[in-house]
Amino acid sequence: MSKPKLGIFSLTGCGGDQLQILNMEDQLLDLVSRFDIVDFQEGSSRKVDGDIDIAFVEGTVSTEHDLKKLKEIRARSNVLIALGNCAIEGCIQSMRNGETTLSERLKDVYGVEEGFFDAKLSKPITEYVDVEFSIPGCPVEKEETLRGITSLLHGDSPPYYSYPVCVECKLNEYPCVIVEEGKPCLGPLIRAGCNARCPSLGLDCIGCRGPVEGAENFAAEYQMLLDKGYTKQDIMNRLRVFCGELGDDFLGGGDDE
Amino acid sequence: MSKNITIDELTRVEGHGGIEISLKDGKIEDVKFNVFEGPRFFEHAIKSVYYEKIPDITRRICAICTASHSLASIGAIEHAFDVKVTPQTQALRDILIHGEMIESHALHVFMLALPDFLGFPDAIHMASKHLDAVKAALELKKTGNMIHTAMSGRDVHGMNDRVGGFSKIPTEKQLIEIKESLEAVKPTTELAVKLLAGFDLPAYNISENTLMAIDPGEQFGFLGDSILVSDQTVHPETDYEKLTNEKVVRHSYAKHSTYKGKPFMVGSLARVQLSNKKLEGTAASLYKEHKDKLQQRNTISNNLAQAIELVHSVDRARDVIEQLLADGLKQEALTEFEVYASRGINAVEAPRGLLYHDYTFNDDGTIMKSNIITPTAQNAANIEKDARIIAENLSGKPEAELVKALEIMARAYDPCISCSVHLVHL
Repeated sequence: MSKPKLGIFSLTGCGGDQLQILNMEDQLLDLVSRFDIVDFQEGSSRKVDGDIDIAFVEGTVSTEHDLKKLKEIRARSNVLIALGNCAIEGCIQSMRNGETTLSERLKDVYGVEEGFFDAKLSKPITEYVDVEFSIPGCPVEKEETLRGITSLLHGDSPPYYSYPVCVECKLNEYPCVIVEEGKPCLGPLIRAGCNARCPSLGLDCIGCRGPVEGAENFAAEYQMLLDKGYTKQDIMNRLRVFCGELGDDFLGGGDDE
Repeated sequence: MSKNITIDELTRVEGHGGIEISLKDGKIEDVKFNVFEGPRFFEHAIKSVYYEKIPDITRRICAICTASHSLASIGAIEHAFDVKVTPQTQALRDILIHGEMIESHALHVFMLALPDFLGFPDAIHMASKHLDAVKAALELKKTGNMIHTAMSGRDVHGMNDRVGGFSKIPTEKQLIEIKESLEAVKPTTELAVKLLAGFDLPAYNISENTLMAIDPGEQFGFLGDSILVSDQTVHPETDYEKLTNEKVVRHSYAKHSTYKGKPFMVGSLARVQLSNKKLEGTAASLYKEHKDKLQQRNTISNNLAQAIELVHSVDRARDVIEQLLADGLKQEALTEFEVYASRGINAVEAPRGLLYHDYTFNDDGTIMKSNIITPTAQNAANIEKDARIIAENLSGKPEAELVKALEIMARAYDPCISCSVHLVHL
């Protein structure tokens, strides 16, 4: 039986999710030996055209070039997996989508008019194509990604966390940084799977794994943080980093005070 | 007759960029290092964010240089609010930046650069003939990541390094494990030097080359507050705008930098050339032995300079850990301070070269404006300079030979293209 064809692709982003694959130092050689790697721009000069069994895509669509590439990958891939927060929620480059236009940003950062570059308003890949699975995180967790890849090799689905970070935090018996220290922890809203790493270090969760499905706690968290003295702007700045436009959707608009 | 020679997308580099050479009647009309990685607008995104969360956003500019961005960001905030940190915090930060050099240089030297010289498309295929070297390189890289994890909380985009110190002080056990691992991988760093020094440097890219790097103080290193230039001048980090003179160019989301109207180079070669007298021990003797292959005018020597830095960082991180263990680790809280309207500028050496973060704060500690200049943005104009020289020197040769030479040159800069886009003046 021939090895499954694997492609690892990145659009606009920091490259951190594919770096996490390279960071599996103990498993990397064994892992790559199970696949025929047909495209991995950051790691290899080898490129093979044709169908792909499993494609990982990280990053956002931020240029026309990104969009064209994404559509080509979708067309040749049997299973496409959105890898990381950029691909799923849009991450930092999309965090002001509810607030400013592309031309305001281009003017602000480059001092040029729209049309100078082929830039588009940054959006996650899920806005443009269907994906079979997603692996969350900024960056993705190595163990979860490895389990995801091995599950796919055996015809199973990657792991999925349907509960928030608070569950893992409680199971570890970490002190609650909201209750004990009044820190603006996003643990109640955010998908588990990190084993509550930030609370384990005495820090509040900043939400890098994106919103847990349903995200029923948004309004309650927002009110609690307001009661603790955080400003609307502070809270929205926090929610927007990794939750895409979901914070705006839930709270009925931004912080246009 | 017009003709274009194009590398659509450079491989084995971080991010998305290509090279385009336009010829007319056999003469070079134009050379472009195209950066088509999309813009990310970090300086726009962080406006109105409270200082405490700024490093959590800006460290995500880049994955492979995450600790450098983190420390540049934290330092700029500490400069703005005059925050003093303890010697233990300084020592732990020093270990963290050495960890980043080890992880990043191990990846670049063995996995991205060496396949060119040994004739493979990647490290995976290289492993078929050089399995022991690839395995050793992965162990070296892993040691860098052990440091990332112990100091910052994880391999990529950590959270434990904060303004004013570290949220949780690493344990003695973690430091001992790192020290043992550093000792075990030391021979791999020397192997990196030996392998790279075994190849002749090509001559097709030799040209005038201005270097710029941080003044590390008494010992070779990556943190400091003034900038050395190869024209023998020294500048405070706060003068960075005069050193970089960024301007927007249409073919690149990375702005281009010049110093006195000319491109310049930052990175390992600049650091090793400008501060070689501060290298110690094995790194110093290897530098002396291979000095002829570390040439200011040959940017491809950057690969060997990275290998020399690997030797240095492994030794230096071990020394700092031994000192911390001898002094005894203290459970220190973050430094407390007040916020006020202020500006802070900080430079650090990322694996690929000088990195500047410059923040202006409102009186409530939220950010009003910022400017971030990354090493690859500074190197972009120099990469174009080298590409032009190569195209001139190899004119008349087969196109495949020229393309290969251009790729080897660009890769030697270890460009981090994700980082380079989104750099800003407000």
